[in-house]
Amino acid sequence: MSLGLYFMRVKCLLRNMEGIFWCYIFPIILSTCLYLGVSKLGAVEEFETIKIAYVVGEAQTELSKEAGTAVSQEQAELSHEVGTAVGHNELLSVMKAAKLSEDKYMFDITLCSSKEAVDLLEKGDIEAYIIGGDRPELFIKENGLNETIVKSFVDSYMQKQITIKNILVSNPEALNNGLIDDLIGQTDFVDISDKHKKPDNIIIYFYAILAYTCIFASNWGLEEVINIEADQSMRGARISASPVSKMRLFACNMLASYTCHIISVILLFLYMKFVLNVKFGDELAYLIAICLAGSLTGLLMGASIGFWIKKKPAIKEAIIIAFSLGCSFLSGMMAVEIKYYVTEKFPLLAYINPVNLITDAMYSLYYFDGHNRYFINLMLLMLMAAVFTVASYFGIRRRNHDSI
Amino acid sequence: MLVNVKGLVKRYDKLVALDYLDLQVEEGEIFGLLGPNGSGKTTAINCILSLIRYDKGSIEIFGKPMKPNAYDIKRNIGIIMQNVAVFEELTVYENIYYFCSLYIKDKIEVKRLTREAIEFVSMEDYADFYPKKLSGGLLRRLNIACGIAHKPKLIILDEPTVAVDPQSRNKILEGIKKLNAEGATIIYTSHYMEEVEQICSKIAIIDKGRVIAQGTKEELKAMISLGEKITMELYELPEKNINELKEFPGIYSVEYHENLLEIKSAKGRNNLIHILDYMAKNNIIFGKVYTELPTLNDVFLEITGKELRD
Repeated sequence: MSLGLYFMRVKCLLRNMEGIFWCYIFPIILSTCLYLGVSKLGAVEEFETIKIAYVVGEAQTELSKEAGTAVSQEQAELSHEVGTAVGHNELLSVMKAAKLSEDKYMFDITLCSSKEAVDLLEKGDIEAYIIGGDRPELFIKENGLNETIVKSFVDSYMQKQITIKNILVSNPEALNNGLIDDLIGQTDFVDISDKHKKPDNIIIYFYAILAYTCIFASNWGLEEVINIEADQSMRGARISASPVSKMRLFACNMLASYTCHIISVILLFLYMKFVLNVKFGDELAYLIAICLAGSLTGLLMGASIGFWIKKKPAIKEAIIIAFSLGCSFLSGMMAVEIKYYVTEKFPLLAYINPVNLITDAMYSLYYFDGHNRYFINLMLLMLMAAVFTVASYFGIRRRNHDSI
Repeated sequence: MLVNVKGLVKRYDKLVALDYLDLQVEEGEIFGLLGPNGSGKTTAINCILSLIRYDKGSIEIFGKPMKPNAYDIKRNIGIIMQNVAVFEELTVYENIYYFCSLYIKDKIEVKRLTREAIEFVSMEDYADFYPKKLSGGLLRRLNIACGIAHKPKLIILDEPTVAVDPQSRNKILEGIKKLNAEGATIIYTSHYMEEVEQICSKIAIIDKGRVIAQGTKEELKAMISLGEKITMELYELPEKNINELKEFPGIYSVEYHENLLEIKSAKGRNNLIHILDYMAKNNIIFGKVYTELPTLNDVFLEITGKELRD
């Protein structure tokens, strides 16, 4: 009989389109929107090959004067800075060889006369042009990222060239001590360890959505109470008049709700992991365990509210929605800074917020080596579940009501 | 005695909903609980089913005290609520199956009873329909099927015909009579006196939480002084004639307004002939004439001084 009631309840829940939308579809939509928003925010702008022109073998001063008619005074000053350094047409070969990636060159260089270069710059076909020689000069039309890159490249080339020349003059033996390699090479002083991922605030939003989905089970817990209590619904009155133990029926229904709800959480988790490629780390079993605990806590919390708050079902539903959203807000679903602020300023609030406990447990799995913090969160969550179980037990033990 | 309610008192704060209510329902009866809205009918039913607490009194069903966990009693009770109480997510068949399975353990038996209940309410063509696709009348029939599928010995129907079209109402009333003929005892609450008169073998009239009269409809009508009500269409009737009519033996009320003359007379007096004779002798022209025997509304009116529909 109990199995039959369980399956019938599962059937009811899976056919409830409203419940399915909010529990199965809405979190997926939410996480997809977040993913789309975040991928734009997080994406590094990809550098494109910069079109420039290179003028070889013309008298620099005359050209400078010509160019000065085409570009602004400010730009002429900029070019002068570069032009004062000593340079050769070796710069051209270095620029030609410079790459952004394996198959992408940094510069697309057009060799031309100075007049052609000025025309190209005016038309916007190139970002800058360089007049080669002992003192290369850079001409640009406007300030921008690509112009800055070209200037930095030329500056860097000139500085290194001067440095090497000076060393060769003052200490030729330094060449044998690897000084040139040191000058050319770059050293990065930032170390990223294998275990500790680089700080990623974005993932907290995904944790918050998972946690919110878990705690959304409270709506289903409330629904089970409404369905079984005579003072909450006509169905409840009919069921209360039947010869079936309310405790047993409630247990069957809660188990059915838990089954359906946990499936929604796992589906969301799989969607985030395999479709949105959210990096949850390696400890997935722990992650699923906290989701199971969160879902159970949510379900029992909803049931307790259903049993003990003496209001109409619609008011109870509103209370549950407000509570879930409030908890999610405080755990950083809308702005991650809120989570840090609450944890720092109101630690007790953070410890009694089930959504925060779930996100914090997930966060600790991602960032920390040990499991202490994870287990503290898990235990607190289970403690809450135990309290709500006791509350639900005493709630359902009430045999009849003052009025229905 | 199938149901024995004694001295039932139920208060909602200062409001006394049931005021020492006494009800006795014999096996095989269709027991009507008749009263205006707010008279305490539904509260009485909820107390009988142990859905709500009561302050005083005792309730026995099948000779045993009724309690919330009296599952052996509840197993033999079918309840049809005032509002439709079914699951929107389950089909007609599944709803009946679900509620029947709360009473019967054997799956095969539940299936058989479910099919029988569907036939009983003539919903074979709608077995796979979801409730939201059903009309109001069909929903009521589904509601009834869910309450009677397990073949209970006692069926309690709490205003099952509210907001139901006449065709569905007749079907429901016929169904109730059929259930009774098959051996079920029925408690039927309503504020429609016509329905109660039509199907109930015993009636309790309830007002302000008290039973003010109880018996068969004939017994109830015998309790009041009104025996016959004569109504005549008249275009004109001088005050003098009204006063003379009042002097007729057995007539205790003569009222004339809006071209209608209403004469109430005591039981056992056949006044119609004398009145027609008086009209002819006085050259009073009249139109339609009709007489009515007292209704339950007249009973209620005479006892409480107000209409059942008030």
